[in-house]
Amino acid sequence: MSTRADLEGWEPEIREIASRRQLAARMGGDEAIARQHAAGKLTVRERIERLLDPGSFLEFGSLVGTAEYHQETLTAFRPANFVMGTGTIDGRMIVVGGEDFTVRGGAADGGGGSKWQFSEALAAEWRLPLVRLIDGAGGSVRTLEQIGRTYVPDNPGIVTMTRLLGIAPVISAVVGSVAGLPAAKAVAAHWTIMVKDTSQVFVAGPPVVQRSLGEEVSKEELGGYRVHLRSGVVDNLALDEVDCFRQIRRFLSYLPANVWELPPRVPPDDDPQRREEELLRIIPRNRRRPYDARRLLRLILDHDSLFELSPDYGPSLITALARLNGYSVGVLANDPHHLGGALDAAAAEKLTRFVDFCDTFHLPVVNFVDQPGFMIGQEAEGAGTIRKGMRAICAIEESTMPWIAVIVRKCYGVAGGAHQRRSSLTVRYAWPSAEWGSLPIEGGVDAAYRREIEAAPDPDARRREIEARLTALRSPLRTAEAFGIEEIIDPRETRPLLCRWLDTVQRLMPSLVGPRVRTGMRP
Amino acid sequence: MIEVRAPMVGKVVEIVAEPGTRVASQDELIIIESMKMEIPVYAPASGIVQDVHVSPGMAVQKGDLLVTIAT
Repeated sequence: MSTRADLEGWEPEIREIASRRQLAARMGGDEAIARQHAAGKLTVRERIERLLDPGSFLEFGSLVGTAEYHQETLTAFRPANFVMGTGTIDGRMIVVGGEDFTVRGGAADGGGGSKWQFSEALAAEWRLPLVRLIDGAGGSVRTLEQIGRTYVPDNPGIVTMTRLLGIAPVISAVVGSVAGLPAAKAVAAHWTIMVKDTSQVFVAGPPVVQRSLGEEVSKEELGGYRVHLRSGVVDNLALDEVDCFRQIRRFLSYLPANVWELPPRVPPDDDPQRREEELLRIIPRNRRRPYDARRLLRLILDHDSLFELSPDYGPSLITALARLNGYSVGVLANDPHHLGGALDAAAAEKLTRFVDFCDTFHLPVVNFVDQPGFMIGQEAEGAGTIRKGMRAICAIEESTMPWIAVIVRKCYGVAGGAHQRRSSLTVRYAWPSAEWGSLPIEGGVDAAYRREIEAAPDPDARRREIEARLTALRSPLRTAEAFGIEEIIDPRETRPLLCRWLDTVQRLMPSLVGPRVRTGMRP
Repeated sequence: MIEVRAPMVGKVVEIVAEPGTRVASQDELIIIESMKMEIPVYAPASGIVQDVHVSPGMAVQKGDLLVTIAT
């Protein structure tokens, strides 16, 4: 026979859950939150709210934490210092997680370990982009007292982190001072962004550096944006946290949710037939004068679609996401203001990573070539330029996404030869301003005709005479006669031709999706 | 005071902004020839050119002081 108690539901437990969630939402308490704000930083819950579409956050592990009881009643609750779950960005689902710096400075002794590992595993399992909001210093020696022993380090979550890079877009936003394992998480991403002045990345912070090396250095000097935008550790800079979230949203908009899906196409609002007169004049006739490469790109790509990645690392190479006729593309170009556009060791590493990234997500690549060759000279040799350069070339050869080249000016040497992928048919367009060869004539004449020049009564005159003879043969039209270049075009035609190419290669895309299979080894 | 340094090894070919000139951010200060290109070195911020430490024809190494600007 049922009693009155049997007819009641589970309302008391539901109220208990709700009240525990309210306790968790207080994070480290009002004082700690005030300190976080005073430092120019948002709390993890505020960050998640501002990053995601309003009201879309669905939390996992909201009840995890350290509880104190008197008999059977909860008297105190400190939430685990990691908040995570799913939410949408422009309607597209992602996984997001971040350290709660208001609890134990986001450190590993704050109980958040199992939650952050879960967030990585969830993104891998559900094949969703992951955004990490990293604000913690990792391991703490306090743990020894907490657990009464030490432990052999084992880089928890490393397997999933590595696997995830081949599954879905991974973004690390550094929104505080990070060291140790959080610093590893910061770079184990397709794209890393840090916030100006309120974030730093280092292997270990100033106290450890001081004890080990006697080096006195501030957090900013050791791992601030001035260091790491140029070191290649961090890709892009956010002026503040709001800018950070805006850039994250923008970056994700170019990419598919995972490697099994195609990049999204936005409704095109820029005429694919647009022909800009300025393109006829943008490359100076004076071969020694540089031009604004980014302006050139903007005249061709969809309006406002150029999103440059790692601008301050390897600056002679421009790597960017953009759109043509609404389709996402990866863009390569050279900046003649830096090293004349030559590929140095840093630019080669940047190129390798960018090609791998585009290949992973099957982004077609457009390469606007103005490549004088690998960087030369003592500093470049000391940096191992040719080895890093060959690595980049192998990455290009291994890639499978559609690739097209537009040679706008120089294309010389082995680095110039990597303007295209030889392992498949690559169409190249060239502008009338294009010039190419194994060596530029000026340096090549001194090397190849040295004896003849030295033996001449007037060596300078002889050198100039030989250079003039070869210069007469330099016209790209002669190369075109022999089908050494597919087509030489009016620069104003570049955008319509690229849009047509991109439209044509869409038919290849469905058979390209899926994880990359890599064979062989890079040198 | 801002120190503008040579971004790479090369030869100074032209002084564009003489001492006493007011420059805006991204104005050309000096032209350096390197890698067979004439590369402008730009002002990183607005100010008045205090000193030009090089002259045309002078060889420079990466990091050599070119110009000081008072902001």
